[in-house]
Amino acid sequence: MKRIMSVILGVLILMITAGCILQYRKGEGETSCTKELFAMDTVMSFTAYGSKAEEAVDAAMKEIERLDALLSTGKESSEISQLNAAGSFLVSEDTKMLLKAAETVYGSTDGSFDVTIYPLMQLWGFPTGDYHVPTEAELSEVLPLVNASRIRLEGSRVTLGEGQRIDLGGIAKGYASERVMEIYREYGVTSGMVSLGGNIQTLGAKPDGTAWKIGIRDPETEKEGNSGSGAGGILLALPVENQAVITSGGYERYFEENGETYIHILDPRTGYPADSGLLSVTVVSENGMLADALSTSLYIMGAEKAAEYWRAHGSDSGNAFELILVDTFGKVYATEGLRDKIEMQDTERQVKILER
Amino acid sequence: MAKDIRTEQKRKSTYILAVLCALVFLGGIGGMLWNLTRSHERQVEILQDGKILYTVDLDRAEDRTFTVTYEGRTNEIEIRNHQIRVKAADCPDQICVHMDWLESAPIVCLPNHLSIQYADGESASGLDAVAN
Repeated sequence: MKRIMSVILGVLILMITAGCILQYRKGEGETSCTKELFAMDTVMSFTAYGSKAEEAVDAAMKEIERLDALLSTGKESSEISQLNAAGSFLVSEDTKMLLKAAETVYGSTDGSFDVTIYPLMQLWGFPTGDYHVPTEAELSEVLPLVNASRIRLEGSRVTLGEGQRIDLGGIAKGYASERVMEIYREYGVTSGMVSLGGNIQTLGAKPDGTAWKIGIRDPETEKEGNSGSGAGGILLALPVENQAVITSGGYERYFEENGETYIHILDPRTGYPADSGLLSVTVVSENGMLADALSTSLYIMGAEKAAEYWRAHGSDSGNAFELILVDTFGKVYATEGLRDKIEMQDTERQVKILER
Repeated sequence: MAKDIRTEQKRKSTYILAVLCALVFLGGIGGMLWNLTRSHERQVEILQDGKILYTVDLDRAEDRTFTVTYEGRTNEIEIRNHQIRVKAADCPDQICVHMDWLESAPIVCLPNHLSIQYADGESASGLDAVAN
């Protein structure tokens, strides 16, 4: 009997130690860290894995706060507000870099992406939430101010055209998520993710080696207030590694007046909300800044021109990107590179693949 | 004879002890498994600046209303019929109130740095994040 007891005891001890070893191996030197931050008028979440995960996340959050203080149009002390007030200003390297990237996209999208759109955004009341549908007269007064080709950049001095004001909101979050990835790398993080209010960028794969799985919202269920949709308003899932996934959609922000819906994505050429037959544009790219700028401008351009743009620029080295488009008929388009990746939530729904 | 009885008793008590040990052990394993596998789906977190203020199990929560304060501004949170929402808020945009009862997407009040979300959030759907 003593023998039976000692066998039982032995087995027990063995099992307990085995469990501990397994637990220990699972956490071998790797720590994970997830934090949330309210900045840039949105809620952000940071995730990193590595021995210095927490330091990495803290440093990334600090950087975001620095960029927010530098670039926000809502803060009077920001560099952008000072530039807008003075019309000419010596700017930081960050702003310079952003303006240069913005200028490139302005050129390649025939002005669909225009950082001088701020007076127009203000006229519609989007920055304050004090919405107003402008009259023709008001529009014709403000529209000439929207023209990014009038921005002059000499050294570090930026000079705006008379009455012009800029807003880097369409590109700043993409730049910020790029910076987060750089900081993660500096701290030896090999697996990380950041979501800046739904602008997502990933570093590496997940710690278990599988790709990050990013959900893309179904813009149709979103407009109905996302009520009662079984799949939680998710259209499809996309596995990504080392990439940014950025979606622009009219559903994100809009207001209604006299039964009309006015979305926050304004066409810099007409002055009115974009009406191109698209409900959402998702850009997948290693370049977060580019993905951010393109998601808005391709939304304005519409499905056909977006596909053309992808055929012309989609494989530019360092700036390669893929697209997912959803049109007002609920039809889903995806570019060739995503063919075998897209996992539709509703398997009945078809995806039309756009080829080169 | 007397020695035999003693041995017999000893054997019996050893046997009972062994069975007890085994039961306790199995019970422990069972409890562990139950804890690991049981659904946390209806576990809701109320966060301010990313820090958890409250965790609520909606399945077990009783109906009540309470207030969360941020820099003097308030959000009134209501739990009713195992659902949760922001009933009233003194933020300017009222987006959190309009979001009504919590569904898959988190309720967020940007001005008051408040968010209400399911604890396992997007992972319930197998997603790591949702693009917006």
